[in-house]
Amino acid sequence: MPDTVQSHIALPVDVAVPRSRAADTARTLVRAGSLLAFVAVFAAFAAAAPGFLSAGNLANVVGQSAVIGVLALGMTLVVVAGGNDVVRGGIDLSVANNLGLCAAVYATGLGAGWGDGAALAATALAGLLVGAVNAVSVVWLGILPLLATLAAMNVCAGLELVLTHNTVVAASSPLLDVLSGEYPAGVPVLGEVLLGVAALLAVVLHLTPAGLRLYAVGGHREAARAAGLPVASYVAASYLGSGLCAAVASVLSVALLSGSTTGSGDMLLAAVVTALLGVVFSRRLVATIPGTLLSALFIGILINGFQLLNISSYWVNGVQGVLILLVVAATSMLRPNAG
Amino acid sequence: MTRPDQASPLALEMRDLVKDFAGVRALDHANLRVGRGTVHGLIGQNGAGKSTLIKLLAGIHAPDAGTIAVEGAVQSRLTPHRAEELGIHFIHQDRLLVPTFTVAESLFLGAEPRRFGLPWLNGGAMRRRAATILRETFGVDLPAGALVGELSAAQQQLVQISRALLNRPTILVFDEPTAALVRREVDSLFGVIGRLRAQGITIVYISHYLHEIGEICDAVTVMRNGADVGTVHPRTTPAADLVSMMVARDIHDMFPRRHRTAGPPVLSVTGLRAAGAFENVSLTVRRGEIVGMTGLVGSGAKDVLRCLFGLQRPDAGRIEIEGARIGGRSPSAAVAGGLALVPEDRRGHGVALSLSVRENTTIASLDRFARGPLIDRAAERSEVDRLIRDLAIKTPGREAAVRNLSGGNQQKVVLAKWLSRQSNLYLLDEPTVGVDVGAKVEIYRLIDELAGKGAGILVLSADLLELLGLCDRILVMYRGRIVHDGPAAATDSDTLLMHATGAGAVVHA
Repeated sequence: MPDTVQSHIALPVDVAVPRSRAADTARTLVRAGSLLAFVAVFAAFAAAAPGFLSAGNLANVVGQSAVIGVLALGMTLVVVAGGNDVVRGGIDLSVANNLGLCAAVYATGLGAGWGDGAALAATALAGLLVGAVNAVSVVWLGILPLLATLAAMNVCAGLELVLTHNTVVAASSPLLDVLSGEYPAGVPVLGEVLLGVAALLAVVLHLTPAGLRLYAVGGHREAARAAGLPVASYVAASYLGSGLCAAVASVLSVALLSGSTTGSGDMLLAAVVTALLGVVFSRRLVATIPGTLLSALFIGILINGFQLLNISSYWVNGVQGVLILLVVAATSMLRPNAG
Repeated sequence: MTRPDQASPLALEMRDLVKDFAGVRALDHANLRVGRGTVHGLIGQNGAGKSTLIKLLAGIHAPDAGTIAVEGAVQSRLTPHRAEELGIHFIHQDRLLVPTFTVAESLFLGAEPRRFGLPWLNGGAMRRRAATILRETFGVDLPAGALVGELSAAQQQLVQISRALLNRPTILVFDEPTAALVRREVDSLFGVIGRLRAQGITIVYISHYLHEIGEICDAVTVMRNGADVGTVHPRTTPAADLVSMMVARDIHDMFPRRHRTAGPPVLSVTGLRAAGAFENVSLTVRRGEIVGMTGLVGSGAKDVLRCLFGLQRPDAGRIEIEGARIGGRSPSAAVAGGLALVPEDRRGHGVALSLSVRENTTIASLDRFARGPLIDRAAERSEVDRLIRDLAIKTPGREAAVRNLSGGNQQKVVLAKWLSRQSNLYLLDEPTVGVDVGAKVEIYRLIDELAGKGAGILVLSADLLELLGLCDRILVMYRGRIVHDGPAAATDSDTLLMHATGAGAVVHA
């Protein structure tokens, strides 16, 4: 049978399917519900845990959220540029171990007698390098972000052990003294760094054309390409940004713990949940900087409240897992679709 | 056929373009010459190469051979960016818009208004200018802050067109722009196109709708099998001539047509309704009858089929198979009622990749080969061999794992699985999507044979020629209702298309 015979006069696709009002309502409910949950948790702790509402405690919450918060802000960049499809979208599983590696670099550098400047530069370089490896594997080798960053995560974990031999490398420096202190009195500097990083990223992501384009790249890659955007560069930049955030977070972590500490990988779940949970605070159900900041504080409040109420902090892990499931389920069902 | 005047200077000349995808020739020395300031139609069946041609023009793919010249200058390295610089813009069929963006953001993505020349978004200016553009170009008041994903298809289309106009295009390519629009919107689109032509913009207009081509095009190029078969004047060329240029003549050889007489009803549906999908659907399929059903995506045709098979619950109505009522409860109840369904997504739903061709073929019909508690292997083997032969399944043997077959052959295996059940009623969902022409002919012959043996068959297909060739009767659904039900012999593809797109009422009025 020759292939020249064709038999198609196919119908075009009618995309004028009436959109569902129910989905709109559900989206609104999810957002309102999330905010309500936030307020309810806040109120519950305020009522049940003595001292929760004190200015000192709240400032502490911000300070204690700093490390995870900055990690999650970096992850947010990747999620924005990669789109929040859970499987194929952007995700950076290497952030936590990248933090561990960077902390080891920073602490080891200081231990070797380097000044803060040199140690910071080396730390930033380490973070960016990991980001660059991720960018190359995702953008140019076309590996799924989930797998590519999983591999980078293990590389980071290995390198960290090489540097630290699985011990705590104590560190101190003038910068660390400032970071771990309070300025003005009662306000942890770590918290201020978190807010500063968030403000900076919020400006870039939400107030500049570059930020808008990053959203376009993640929201509909073909549309971004059709708009003439260098899609690969944007995705690559998001991984570099995430790597740099891990480096910043590592310095905060060293300040908090007075040295590099093993087990940084445990922060991964918290960073993922924080970045994903932030989605429910946005009308468009996309990751945003304020959303991520809010969810970082939400999780910080959970941990803090549990501590004040003498509930085992192990529960927090379970709660985070449940939150991931809820958020992913809600957003994948409710996100608006084009065509 | 008259040749349109080619004396006007050419805005675009695509010559001798060849493009292969993984060994399949999508373009085979295709040509397109478009005069400056004209509206140039481009028609052809699916797979004729229109989209590939357009993707080469957009710089999305590079041609394997041939040249593209814009305003007389040959463009050897066309990239999307370069195409944009040349003023070539596209209104894509799949609207390339970010669903989570606002209307204003979608319009200005890539050329955002800035504050003080700094890399700083001017959101207010963006919203105001977006609202102005939409109002002045289309006379519509779309809220500039609405999210694209929440707009109707037609509204998204307007956003897409406005976006292209912002770039002051010299050549504007419309790829099936009216597929999702209602008549009123189509008229206003044609008004816009007329205005654009008056401004000197060259327009390439791709459409399935021949009457649209006649309405707005100055010239039309017909494509078939990856090549252009002619460029003619659409107003002086009868639609029938265009169709015969689009379709190879020997199409009717593909369809066997045995004389059949319809018996008593095997399936009768009355007043079926599923909220939000379709309502008041009544239809009958008789023994020995092939009934075709078609409709655009969203017309409800697919949902009707799903209800019949019990994959979706109807809200009201009766479904009777051979006089016995079935409730549309579940697929297994439907199968027990004597139904066989060949789903469209056969690779996803219908085939176990690691099992052999034999196992996949007989997995749903093992009862037929049972001898007591055992399976009659010899009978099973001979049935499988017969189906492999009949469907021309290319496989090393009946024990080969389906995983090792090509996609088209995997589809044939799933088809074989259901055909081997020997039911009285077959529901076929796009039975020939993705299979090659040779296999199509085999499948048509098999379907005809089943009907000849007295089975009732309901075929859902978007391929109108397939329905016209295969079926005794054709139903067309539009926006949840059956809008046409008549003998296949008394209709043609244009009529079906009109009904399916809701234009039937307008045209006949």
